[in-house]
Amino acid sequence: MAPIIEIQNYSWRYSYAKMPALNGINLIIEEGAFVGIIGPNGSGKTTLAYSLDGLIPSQYRGIKQGAVNILGREVEAYPAGALQKLVGVVFSDPEAQFTAMTVEDELVFGMENLGLSVPEIRERLEWVTELAELGQLLEKPPYEISGGQKQRVALAAVLAMTPRVMILDEPTSMLDPVSRKRVFDVLVRLKEEQRNTIIVIEHNLENLASLADRMILLSNGELLLEDETHAFFEKMDLLLENGIHPPGAMLFIHRLMQEGYYASRLPLTVDEAAACLTEVVARLKPPGPASSRG
Amino acid sequence: MNAERPFIRVVNVSYRYPDGTEALSGINLDIYQGEFMAFVGQNGSGKTTLSKCLNGLFNPTSGDVIVDGLNSKTTSISQMVRRVGYVFQNPDHQLFNSNCWDEIAYGPRNIELPEPEVKTRVAEAARVVGLPETYFGEHPFFLPKGMRQRVAIASILALQPKVIIVDEPTTGQDARQSLEIMDFLADLNQAQGHTVIIITHDMPIVARYARRVVAMGSGRILADGPTAEVFSQPETLAETFIEPPHITQLAQRCRSLGFDPGTLTVEDMLRQFKELVA
Amino acid sequence: MNKTLLGYVPEQSPIYAVHPFVKLFFLLVVSLFPMFIASPEWNLALMLFILGLMWLSRVDMRVLRIYVPMVISMGSVIFLSYTVLGGVHPEFGLAARIAGVNIYWERIRDASVVYARILPMIFTMVFFLSTSRERDVIVAMRSVRIPFVVTYVFAMALRAAGMVLEDFQIVRQAEQARGFDTAGKSIPYRIRKYVMYMIPLFALSLRRSEEFANALLARGYAFTGEASRVKRADYVLTHYSFRPADLLLTAAIGLAFAALLVLRFGFGYFELERSWFIAWLKTALD
Repeated sequence: MAPIIEIQNYSWRYSYAKMPALNGINLIIEEGAFVGIIGPNGSGKTTLAYSLDGLIPSQYRGIKQGAVNILGREVEAYPAGALQKLVGVVFSDPEAQFTAMTVEDELVFGMENLGLSVPEIRERLEWVTELAELGQLLEKPPYEISGGQKQRVALAAVLAMTPRVMILDEPTSMLDPVSRKRVFDVLVRLKEEQRNTIIVIEHNLENLASLADRMILLSNGELLLEDETHAFFEKMDLLLENGIHPPGAMLFIHRLMQEGYYASRLPLTVDEAAACLTEVVARLKPPGPASSRG
Repeated sequence: MNAERPFIRVVNVSYRYPDGTEALSGINLDIYQGEFMAFVGQNGSGKTTLSKCLNGLFNPTSGDVIVDGLNSKTTSISQMVRRVGYVFQNPDHQLFNSNCWDEIAYGPRNIELPEPEVKTRVAEAARVVGLPETYFGEHPFFLPKGMRQRVAIASILALQPKVIIVDEPTTGQDARQSLEIMDFLADLNQAQGHTVIIITHDMPIVARYARRVVAMGSGRILADGPTAEVFSQPETLAETFIEPPHITQLAQRCRSLGFDPGTLTVEDMLRQFKELVA
Repeated sequence: MNKTLLGYVPEQSPIYAVHPFVKLFFLLVVSLFPMFIASPEWNLALMLFILGLMWLSRVDMRVLRIYVPMVISMGSVIFLSYTVLGGVHPEFGLAARIAGVNIYWERIRDASVVYARILPMIFTMVFFLSTSRERDVIVAMRSVRIPFVVTYVFAMALRAAGMVLEDFQIVRQAEQARGFDTAGKSIPYRIRKYVMYMIPLFALSLRRSEEFANALLARGYAFTGEASRVKRADYVLTHYSFRPADLLLTAAIGLAFAALLVLRFGFGYFELERSWFIAWLKTALD
C-alpha cells in the first residue's frame, strides 16, 4: 500500500531543552500497517507521536527541521482541525483525556466537532460501542468507570472519528493487566476489521509483539532500528543494550538461539515459544526407556 | 523470615467506605521484619486500601491492625509513620516544598525531631536514594520524574520506618528505570533490613524481586505465599485476574516436558533446560 | 442513589420525566418570586411548597439536615446585622434594649422580611441541585441555545471540581503519611498548613491542563478558525424530547409568575401592610 506518513530528516528541539528530542528521523509508514514504537523514557516517542498529529509544532514551542508529511502534505499546511480528521491520538492518562460528562457524550464529542449529522453519529456510535464493548457504560460519568474502561472509551472516541491513522501513546501504562489485555483486544479487532494505520507506543511488549507488523526502536532521539517484527526482535542484543526488555519467553528462546540449540524463527507469543521449546526438547532430549512410551 | 512475632499483624480487618462499599473483608495477615512482599490484584481488589490500613491512614471499620505492638486505632499518626512509611504513586501528590532538602526534612520536622537530628536524617536519606547534593536546592517541580520519585522516597526514608510500602514503583518507568528503582528497594531490604512492600501490576518485577506475594480480589486475600508458589496456581490466579510473568507462563505451558511451573526467571528456565537435555 | 458532584439524586423520581429545560426554567423563574413578595408568610409558604415538591420528587429529605446549620447561621447573621449594625431612623420605634444596644422594631421587621425572602430562593436552588444530574444541567443550557463553549466550560468546571476534590483527598493522605497531623492543633495553625495542599493541587492541575488541551485538540475541537464554526449536532438532546406535558408545565410556571405580578401590582397583595405575620410579630414584641 502507499505510504501515508513520510518523515524526512526531521529534528525537533523543545525551546527549553539543550538537546533535540528527535534528531534526523527518516521514516516511511505505509497505510494499513500496524507499527510498534519502543524505546526508553526520554527517547522521543511521545514527541514523535505529537509531531504526527500536529500538536507539535502548533502547541509546543521549539525548533523544527526537516519535514513531517501526512498524505503528502506537511503537517503545518493543514488548517486547524483538518489534520485531526486524518490522525487520531489516544494518550496515556485515562483521566486527562475524558472530556465530557458521560461515556456517550465522550464518544459523540469528536463526531460533533466534525460536524456530522445525528443519524451519522448514531450509526458510528453503535459501531464503536460494539467494537470496544462499551454497551453497559454509555450512561455512566467518568468517575464511575475504571481506568481501563476510560482508555477503551478514549480509543472508541477517537475511532468514531474514523481517522486514517490512529496513534496510541502508551495507552496501557496506567492500567492493570486485565484492562491492558482488553484494550489490546480492541486493537486486535481493529487490525482485523478495519484498514486504519495503527501506531502503538508501548513499554509493555508482551501484547504488542504479536500484533505489530513492523517495529521501531527510538533511543536518545534517534531511530536506531526499524524492521519487520520478527527480524526486529532478532536483533535482541541491540534491544537489550538500549534498555528494552523483551518478553521473558522471547528472551529465553533467543538465549537458546545464542547457544546454538535453536536456529529458526523467533516466536513472538508464549504459545509460539511453547511450540518451539517442545520441538527443541523433543529433538535434543535423550530418548527415555522404551517403557515410557504410551 | 524471622520466627519471632510479626512486626505487623492484621487481625480480621474489614473496611467499609462511607458510601457503603466494602473494600476489605476478613483480612488476616502477618508481616515479619525483613520481608520483601508484593500486593497484587486488580484495581479495586483492596490492595491499596489494605496498605493504607497498615500505616494508619485508614482505620479499619472492624478488626485490628497491630504494628510493632501498637494498635493503629489508638496510636497517633506520628507514631505510626515512624514505623510504616507509604510512598504514593504520583510524587506530585506530595511534593510542595520549594527545595528538595526541605522536602526531605518535612517528615522528620513533622514528628518534631531536633534540628541536628533532622539534618543527619536528610543527608542519610538523600545518600541512600542516590540524590546528588546539587539537587538539594532545586525545586522538586522541575526535576525529571525519576528524580521526583526518589525525592518522594527519600522524604519517607527520612522518617526511618521499618516498613516501607511503595505504590506502583515501576508504572510509567522504562525497563532501565524500573530496575534501578527495584534494585534500590532490594538493597534497602537486604542491606538495611527494611521490610519492603510493593503494590504493583508488573509481574516480571514481582517475580524477580518479591519473595512473598499476597494476591487480592474483591476485598479478600485469595493467595498468600512464596512467589513461585502463588504464580503456579492457575485457579487462584484466574480469580485474581493476574497473569504470571511471561517466562512463568512458558514454563507452565511446558510443564509436561518437565519444567517447574513456578519458574520465575529466564536464567532459571535456561538452567532447567540444560539439565533436561543433558 | 445516583451520585452527582453536588450530592445524591434519587434513583427513581417523577422529576426525571420532566425535560431539563423545564427544571431550569422553574429554578430561574421561581427564584424571582420572593423578590415580589414582601409578606413573610407567603414566602414561607412558598418554601414549604418547594420542600413539598422535593418530597414528591423522592429526594432523600435527610439531605436537608446539611442545610440546617447554614440556614440558622445565616438567619443569625441577618438579624444581627440588621438590628445591631443597621442604622437608625428617627421614626423608628424601640422594641427592646439588650445589653445596652437599642433594638428597633423596624429593623426586626426588615430582617424578617429579608430572611423570609432568602429561604425559598435557597431551597429552590437546593431542589434543582438535588434533582438534576450534571447532564441535565448541560442539556438545559443547550436547549436554550447557550453557546457551546459556555456549556462546555461549565461542564469542565464541574469535572475539574470533582478531580480536585479527589486529588485533595490523596494529597491529604500523602501529607499524613509524612507525619502531618492536625489533631490537637489550633485553628490558625491548620489554616496556615492548608496552604501546603494548594501547591500539589496546583502542580497537578497544571500538568493535567496541558494534557487536557491536547486531548481536546486531538478530538478535533478547534478554538478558532473555520473548524470552530462547525454546526454541532448536539446529539445529547436526542435523548430528551420536549413533550406536551413539559409545555404545559412551562406555561404553568410562566402563568403563575404573571399572576403573581398582577396580584402584586394590580391588587396590592403580598405587601407588608397586609401581612398578618408582621402584624402578629408587632403585637408579640410590644
